[in-house]
Amino acid sequence: MDLSVLERVNWLQQQQMVSPDFFEILGSDGREELKRVESYLGNNNDEMQGFRHYETIDGCISRTSSFQMEQVKNNEENRVIALQPKRKTEGKTEKIENKKKKIKTEDETESSMKGKSNMSNSETSSEIQKRDYIHVRARRGEATDRHSLAERARREKLSKKMKCLQDIVPGCNKVTGKAGMLDEIINYVQSLQQQVEFLSMKLSVLNPELEFHINELSTKQFQACFTDLPEAVSKQPMMVDASSFPLQQHGSLDYSLINSNQTTILSSQKDQTSSSWEIHSQCLYNNLRTDSVSSFFSHK
Amino acid sequence: MERQMINKKKRVFSFEPTKLPPSEVFTRKYISHLVPALKKLNMGKSSPQINQLTVKREVDKALALSAQEFAWSRFLLQKLSSSNNPTTTTSSSSIQTQILERSNDEDGEIEEKLKELQKLLPGGEEMNVEEILTEIGNYIKCLELQTSALKSIVQDAT
Repeated sequence: MDLSVLERVNWLQQQQMVSPDFFEILGSDGREELKRVESYLGNNNDEMQGFRHYETIDGCISRTSSFQMEQVKNNEENRVIALQPKRKTEGKTEKIENKKKKIKTEDETESSMKGKSNMSNSETSSEIQKRDYIHVRARRGEATDRHSLAERARREKLSKKMKCLQDIVPGCNKVTGKAGMLDEIINYVQSLQQQVEFLSMKLSVLNPELEFHINELSTKQFQACFTDLPEAVSKQPMMVDASSFPLQQHGSLDYSLINSNQTTILSSQKDQTSSSWEIHSQCLYNNLRTDSVSSFFSHK
Repeated sequence: MERQMINKKKRVFSFEPTKLPPSEVFTRKYISHLVPALKKLNMGKSSPQINQLTVKREVDKALALSAQEFAWSRFLLQKLSSSNNPTTTTSSSSIQTQILERSNDEDGEIEEKLKELQKLLPGGEEMNVEEILTEIGNYIKCLELQTSALKSIVQDAT
């Protein structure tokens, strides 16, 4: 029944792109029809002219991005996309449908236009009852519909983000459901913050001694950063650093190894994490490229 | 569309022709902020108790400065500059954006957890759910990088 959000968006994009052309082809007659439809739909009657018309539709389209749409099977040439009416609004949709029919008969010639609207072809409109061609804009007055549809789109967005977070936070894969994942995320953030606090406390204790080491420090750090660049595994030093943290209790990698045996360690680690790189490449946060760090954390 | 966003993020992060991955960029920035600050602290030689707080403050500051692309870093900077007594990254803002969820039991739980998450994230109180989820992701990454940087610093010093 519903198309996924992605399909909807695609449809809308296409809609937007094509609309101006479409209107040109439509000609003045078509616009007249559109006007009628719009007025029926209770649209703003101000903007009925030419491209302003388009803008209205455009705006409405973007607003209706959350509406359900369904591809009508009857039509092969054009992907006629119709809004699936809710039960309550069936009465209205029928009327709209009638309007549409009129428009369609006039615009048969434009059927070659790539799918966009419901304005295009369908002599089969008579067959199509409920699922119909409502102009995207069907600003139907049903607030509940819009709310629920918008709600659905919003929820999909959220779940997408949760998925991304799943990749970032180690140990989230085993837990399902929003609550469990949120729990994991909270715990993880808290533990990270505690680590930072602990480390900074350590740092403050060591601070006087740091003075002597600081210059040395900065050069070493940058060395560690730079030496791996040619190998394009620059995240490796971070990963190895993480492993040497005492609380992690993972592995026996020594920090000193970083500077001396970097290549060997890094190449072995590289194989481990290379698969996870590909998996994460879809995620937005992948750009920070700390997949290795998080996968490393998850090894415990 | 995701590609574009990914590319956009790439642009935000790496300006160097050598195309460093963002984690590198962040780490370098972080260390370049933190180390001089620590040096400066050493010069000051304040009392040991205050020292810990100031170090924490510097640590947070360096974090915020190294990650200025993100909303939470702005909030963190704000908090740091306004307060003399540095706290951890918990927010004490009075403005709270309501996290609206359905009023089922299950969702009530989720709502509570989201509220907690809001508290953890600097500036989280002023974001809605979507923003929180977005920001939390990169906040976590930056925290991880910060942790490893601090670790290496501490290791080096001992």
